[in-house]
Amino acid sequence: MSRDLCRKAGYTFPFLSDPKAEVIRRYDLLHAAAGANGQDIARPAEFLVDSSGVIRWANLTGDYRVRARPEEIIAEARKLP
Amino acid sequence: MSQRRLNWFLLLGFVLCLAGFASYLLFAQFPLTRDVPWVNFLLFAAGFGFLFVGLRRAFGQPQQYRGKIFGPILAFLSVLLVGFFCFVVFYMTRQLPASAGAPRVGDKAPEFVLPDTNDQPTSLSNLLSTPLPNSGVAPKGVVLVFYRGYW
Repeated sequence: MSRDLCRKAGYTFPFLSDPKAEVIRRYDLLHAAAGANGQDIARPAEFLVDSSGVIRWANLTGDYRVRARPEEIIAEARKLP
Repeated sequence: MSQRRLNWFLLLGFVLCLAGFASYLLFAQFPLTRDVPWVNFLLFAAGFGFLFVGLRRAFGQPQQYRGKIFGPILAFLSVLLVGFFCFVVFYMTRQLPASAGAPRVGDKAPEFVLPDTNDQPTSLSNLLSTPLPNSGVAPKGVVLVFYRGYW
């Protein structure tokens, strides 16, 4: 289903799958049983990681209707050396 | 037969509240109208305004206007709609876990390996070190987006 979504939406970035929420847990972003059928899902979050693997910017929204705007992320990315 | 006029203020008020509720999905597509759903709130306010005047007419001038029964019913339904909307928008979507253990600025981003849409294992370290096709150099960084998706 992810493949279809990416193709239809024209995404060119890597779209990864975390079915057991292992990485979600590693990042402490688990939102237990919050899926429509009670699945464990992630709470929304964005991170900007620099070339050495260090986090330069993180956004954990307090309201899942409100997300970082693309312009904001791009502006932060431009600050990378 | 009754000469009383149809109390269209009541109908319009209810329709505006309904429109305010239903149009959320439309306006939610634009961050400007989604983050604070002010268009929806405007529609609710207008709806309540018309309902108020309509109720005043129904009860104040019952010889001229109908609506003593369907007026309060529509008003009640509107209150339910708007109440539910506010509950979702002010409470429900804010019920998120604390995530106190999430990596912060300055931390090393935890390494991971996950399959992409072609089942190819993709690691963070690879994403950071693999040269980009158009520039031939490794990227300056990577944006990780965790979203509420499931399927």
